[in-house]
Amino acid sequence: MATQPEKPDVPDDRLVRRAQRGDMVAFEELLGRHRDKIYARAFSMMRNEDIASDLSQEAWVKGWQRLKQFQGDSSFVTWMTRIVINLCLDQLRKQKRQRAESIEHLDEELGGVERQMPVVTVNPTEGLERSELRARIDRALNLLSHEHRTVLILHEFEDLEYKEIAKRMECSIGTVMSRLFYARRKMATLMASYKREEMG
Amino acid sequence: MNWEQQLELQAWIDGELSARDARRVAVFAESNADARLLVDELRMAKAFISSNETEVTVPETREFYWSQVQSRIERAESVSETSSVLSWPFVWRRLVSPLSGLALVAFLAVVSFNTFRGPAIDDSARFMVEVENLSDDVGSISYRSQSENMFVVYLYKKDQDADSDAQTEPVDDSFFQ
Repeated sequence: MATQPEKPDVPDDRLVRRAQRGDMVAFEELLGRHRDKIYARAFSMMRNEDIASDLSQEAWVKGWQRLKQFQGDSSFVTWMTRIVINLCLDQLRKQKRQRAESIEHLDEELGGVERQMPVVTVNPTEGLERSELRARIDRALNLLSHEHRTVLILHEFEDLEYKEIAKRMECSIGTVMSRLFYARRKMATLMASYKREEMG
Repeated sequence: MNWEQQLELQAWIDGELSARDARRVAVFAESNADARLLVDELRMAKAFISSNETEVTVPETREFYWSQVQSRIERAESVSETSSVLSWPFVWRRLVSPLSGLALVAFLAVVSFNTFRGPAIDDSARFMVEVENLSDDVGSISYRSQSENMFVVYLYKKDQDADSDAQTEPVDDSFFQ
């Protein structure tokens, strides 16, 4: 097992090949480079620092254990992101089994609420500083249910197709479309309401 | 605009429709004012969400975070090694259990066959019972019939003729066995 420190210009795929041979120093370097991204994905889905930290660490453990299965079809960080997403989805399924579904949630699933929301015609993000815009988006994301937020994250941040999201979330493509539609409309409505708060 | 049309508009924005359906929905979006407004809203939401993911960083230092991951890896590996050491007896037990069960069934089958099968004609020697007579005055003659399932003992006084004065005393078969 190699122990020499890593140079920052060594590409990921070389570090991966070394890690696949059991080089933990190379794996630590990969973790150092991508830990924030993996943690951020866990946090965006779970909305809890402790859970995000726990699941992201678990993802790195699984990454190490399954490293030999990594064929390089995608980038290493994409592969790791898929692992942490799957862990988060498992965790969300466990949580869902434990909590009772709210009436609002059922309404959303039936596709009733989003049809009553008026269409937002003025861009509520215009003139906002990037940091303020991100803070508002984050605040709005917090108000979505896990299911709607997850669909949004998988589609907008991970660029997954409907079919792939449905497979990962173990639901139909129709449900994915419905949840994505609600999530987008709700986000637009919430952002418009923040704008009104600011103006008023 | 119905629900299916709204979802179709979204699928069109997301590039999920076939070329033919996309052309059809594009025509609809252009010709319907409500559809145009909805498309604008959905596009706007898609744009501001996808380009503005909140940047969060791991709250712990790299060293601390790595140490936690490393200890988890080591723990998982030690559990894996333990289970691999334990796996041989486990595999052996899994292999032997059905075989021993099979052997037990075979043994019971043989035993029960020998126990419950009827005695053969020439097997009557198994049922020979020795009757010991310790009396000086009384003599005995025994007779066993396998087919009648009976065992008879004739007792007679030794000073009398056995044929003329014999006392017949059938005895339960099982008593002597």
